[in-house]
Formats: sequence, structure tokens, C-alpha cells
Amino acid sequence: METYFLEDNNIIEFYARVAKEYELYVPTRAPSSLKVKCEHSFILPAQDYLLKKFKDIDKKEIVFNGYRPIEPARSFFTRPKEEICEYFGRNENPPAEKPAAICGLKNCDLFSLKIQDFIFLGGDEPDRFYKARRENALIIAGDCPAFKESCFCRAFDIDPFVTEGFDFNLAPITGGYIIDVASDKARKLMPSLKSLLSSASSSQIGARELNRESVVKHLDEHLSYHKIPKKETLQKIVLGGYNSQIWTDEMRTCVECGGCIFMCDTCHCFLLYDEPNSKRKRVWDGCLYKNFMKVAGGANPLRMRYMRLRNRYLKKFDFFISNIGFQACCGCGRCIDVCPGRIDIRRILRRLHEEHKGAQNVPAH
Amino acid sequence: MYQPIEAIIEDVKQETSSIKTFILRPKSNFSFQTGQFIELTVPGLGEAPFTPSSDPAIKDRLDVTIMNVGTVTSALHGMGKGLKVGIRGPFGKGYPLDNFKGKDVLIVGGGVGLAPLRSLLYSLFSDINKFNKVVLRYGARTPDDIVYKELIPEWAKKDKVDIATTVDMGNPSWTGNVGLVTTILKEAPVDLNNAAVIVCGPPIMMKFVTLKLIELGFKPADIYLSMEKNMSCGLGKCGHCRIGKYHACKDGPVFSYEQLKDIYDIWD
Ligand code: SF4
Ligand code: SF4
Ligand code: FES
Repeated sequence: METYFLEDNNIIEFYARVAKEYELYVPTRAPSSLKVKCEHSFILPAQDYLLKKFKDIDKKEIVFNGYRPIEPARSFFTRPKEEICEYFGRNENPPAEKPAAICGLKNCDLFSLKIQDFIFLGGDEPDRFYKARRENALIIAGDCPAFKESCFCRAFDIDPFVTEGFDFNLAPITGGYIIDVASDKARKLMPSLKSLLSSASSSQIGARELNRESVVKHLDEHLSYHKIPKKETLQKIVLGGYNSQIWTDEMRTCVECGGCIFMCDTCHCFLLYDEPNSKRKRVWDGCLYKNFMKVAGGANPLRMRYMRLRNRYLKKFDFFISNIGFQACCGCGRCIDVCPGRIDIRRILRRLHEEHKGAQNVPAH
Repeated sequence: MYQPIEAIIEDVKQETSSIKTFILRPKSNFSFQTGQFIELTVPGLGEAPFTPSSDPAIKDRLDVTIMNVGTVTSALHGMGKGLKVGIRGPFGKGYPLDNFKGKDVLIVGGGVGLAPLRSLLYSLFSDINKFNKVVLRYGARTPDDIVYKELIPEWAKKDKVDIATTVDMGNPSWTGNVGLVTTILKEAPVDLNNAAVIVCGPPIMMKFVTLKLIELGFKPADIYLSMEKNMSCGLGKCGHCRIGKYHACKDGPVFSYEQLKDIYDIWD
């Protein structure tokens, strides 16, 4: 991996050159509808970020996002709704698209892409749409110099800066960015980018490390109030809490809007449906919806709301841990921000853990 | 992978008042293993999962026995000869025939659950010497609800094959056994210690049959269940068919009870 320095006033030009080869998405500020205040008196930013097409916007709109954008990373690889094929005519081929360069993804997003990859690239047959987009995409990740009230990556030992799975990484320091060039895809762009970069001095790299340490420290302190159980206990507490009253309790305020499943970075479920003209579409779907698992005969394993919430946790913390060895939750907190019922995954996990400890007399960590 | 191939409905056979067998001719040859499932498309309406009931050795034809219970099935029931449907698959893991070799194979079916078992029976019959015997215990709600009425007596005549049927409720012309299928399992001439049991039927029937089998002393690893889930993609991607750590479409739909016994609410 090569490391350079990019001056502040060169960043737009850097983007412009990347945008020659890619459909570039860049972070912009988005007015936040929800101002979740920290109950533990931390002063935390409340604004949000949205990724927009570079070519469509006034360049003054572009910012460096302090933490993840509103939209989940997966939305660049499977669309919330798209046409898959038309039977028995047009074949099932991904549309010809300019490959995407996605700037502003964070480490939580990259962690989630491992789960999406397992589902859409793995199995007996990879999903052609996902594969084409994923393989062609350029990921320009970024450090998190800040975090939101809902961020809890570190609770699961995921750092707020990237270590793998990216092409470029930007880390803001005084006067500009430390930029890592981490893949052949990124190196291929170097001839056109090199003139914008200078070598990074060891004190600049040192500054990045200091920033990283300080955000980790601050985030850990914030999370210490939430008492989120360690990732090693997740499967045990969710399975152990199968018959817990917590699921029912927590679902009292759910209005079944589906926000949490659609904003989730790791959710992958979808529905195939056909239009009268025999066009087959795929839409995102999820287990917070009542008929998700209903069979034609009428049986519905998710007929009650508590079953749906529990199913979601079983999928994330039992199914995935059994199948790939880690949980399908990256701590991005999008489900917390979106939920009109204020249903909070941090609280549910903490309650499950407390109940489990109470039942098993397991000492706290 | 999500696009169906074309198949023509060559014939439709009425099995009971609510069950029909559709004989399909796919546009190109279509192979499956017994117990695997397909997604059947009603053009312009959508797909639903079914397990073919025909002999897997036949490559240019495919039978699907379907009960009229939902949107797709009721549309299918309104379709006749010559119309076009779509098929996709086959998906998942079928019956592990190799595990049944040298054993007494006990097959327990309920209602329309005999459909996948018919394809299994054909596979067993075609290789009958590899198995000790084939014992079928089949239950339906009433005599009218019995599927494959004229095939069952034919099968019963075969060597090494033992068949008994029962109905929950008889009628004046029914002279056979009356009672749930669980009541005729005990007498089944099967060696507990060298058996493979295959169960397919409505969830509630599978539940009570499985519990009965365990009570009779069969081992969880020797009991195979076809799990009915809301399969959609068939490829382990859409998430609709999860059971514990499995996707039924990919890891099933046939599971041993050993695989499922520690998972909560599998019969739901
Ligand atoms: S969850 Fe962590 S990695 Fe994700 S945006 Fe927040 S601080 Fe950054
Ligand atoms: S976001 Fe909240 S209210 Fe909406 S479905 Fe999810 S849990 Fe229910
Ligand atoms: S049917 Fe889509 S995951 Fe099983």
C-alpha cells in the first residue's frame, strides 16, 4: 500500500479526474430530520450526509463526511427496486452502467460488504447484477474523524477507520488528506492523479494515527454508557433469549414501516415479483414485514411482531455467526436513526445480555 | 438465474377436488433429483415453489401435483392444456438415496405431501435391489382427498413394497383404515435399527409423525423431512426460507431431523 498527501485545494480536482473513468458519488451535507441527543451528555454532531453524483452537483456542496452517509453501502450494488429480466424474452443481464466510484464509505460499511459478498457472490451461483457492480466499483473510503450518537462499531471491535476492502482511503489531517492507494484498481488511476499528490511525511502520518486514537478513545467512552455486549456473546444471548419477554416489550412501538430493514447495511433479503407484462422485478424485502415467511397454505412463522424482531436478531447473530463466523451487524446505527418507534438495537442487546447474565449468573465482562 | 424457461402444459389431471397434476413439457430438457424443488411461474403473476412428482429419469417431461391454496396455485388451477408456464431450478438438496441403500425405507406421507414422495418412489422402484424394502404409510383427510388413487394399488403389487393408507374421516364406501397416519406407524414392518424414514406432509402432520417416530425409537439421523418454506430465489439469497442456520432452499428442502431437532419452532 502506498501513502501520499493530498492538499485540501486539490481534492475537487482529484474527484474530477476519478470521475473521468467512473460514475463518482461524493458526500454532501444533508439536513437531518432526527436530532438524537446523547443521553450521557456527549456533545455529538447531529448532521447527516448523502452521497450524490459528482457530475450532477455544485462542487461547493461536497464535504468530507465525518461518519457514514445515510444510505447503506449495499444500495450501490443491489438497487431497492430493479428489473431483473423479462420472460421469455430479454435475458437476465445487468444493464450496461458506468462503474461506480463510491466516496464516503466508512469501515462499518466495508464490514457489511463482507456479508453482502457472502450472500451475493457466494453460494452455488453469484448474483450477476451484484457481481458486475461490485467487481467494477472503486471504493474511496474514509476515516471517521467524528461519530454519531448512534455509531457503535467499536462495540463489536470494528474500528472507525479502514484496514481492508478499499481502493483508496482518505484521512483528513491539517491542510489536506493522507491518501492510501491500496489496490491495482486504484493504482491504475495513478498516472492521472500523481501530479496532485505529494509524499506523506512521517509527521503527517503520525497526525493521522493521533486522530485515529483520539476518536477511538472518545467513541469507547461514549459506548461505555451503552453497555453493549461483546460480539463473542451475541449468539448465546440471542438464542438464550428466544423465549424472552424482551421481544414483545420492544416491539410495542413498532409501526411496521420497514425502515430498519431498508436502512440496514447488512440486510440482504429481497422479493422477486412479476408485473402483468412478464417483467420480473426485484425489490428489497425484510422480516419486519408480516408476510415475509408466510407460505401459500397460510402458515406464518412470523405472524406476531415479536417473532419478526426475534427473527431479525436470529438471522444477524445466529445464522451469520454459524455460517461465516461473525455477526451481521456492523454498528453503523442506521436502524436506530430511522426508527420512528425508537427501537434501539443497543438497548435490546444490552437487555438480552442482562437477562442472560441474570439467568446464568455469568459475570460481566 | 432468476429467469424461468418456458414449459407447455401438456395435460392436467384432476386428483381430488382441490388437487391437480400438471404435466409439463419444458422447452429444453430439464433434470432434477428426487426431492429437489422448482419455481413455477404463472406468466405475469409470479412464482411459487413445488417439488416435482414425476420420475426423475424422465428428462423431457415434468409432473407437478398442486393443491389450490394461494394466488399462484389458484391461477394454475384455472389453466389448461397448451398454455405456457415458466420453470426455474432445480434447487436445493433432494433425498440422499445413497443413505437409504441396504435399509428398510419407510415413507410417511400426508395429503398432497405424497407428491414429492411419488418421485422418490419411482427412484426407489427403479433401483429396488439396492434397498431392503419400501414401506409406504399414507394418510389423507377423507377418501376423496387421496391422491394418485389408481397408482397406489399398482405400486402395492410390486415386489418388496408394502403399502397402507388411512383416512382421518371415512365415508360409507371406505373399507380401509380410519385414523391419523400416526396410528398405523407402529405396525409398519420396519427394522428400527436399519431404517431410513422419509416424512412429507402438512407441518402439523410432520410434527406428530416425527414425534411418534422418535417415541417408537427411530434415530433423528434416520428421519428425513421435506420442509415447506416460503422459498423465492432458490439460491440462498432472498432470505425468505431461513430455518436456524440453514436456508431451506440451499441446505434443504430435505433435512434430517438430526439437523433440525435443536432449532426452535421448526413446525411453525
Ligand atoms: S459506526 Fe463507526 S465506522 Fe461507522 S460511521 Fe460510525 S464511527 Fe464511523
Ligand atoms: S424502523 Fe422501527 S418502526 Fe419501522 S419496522 Fe423497524 S422497528 Fe418497526
Ligand atoms: S429461497 Fe431465497 S434464500 Fe432460500
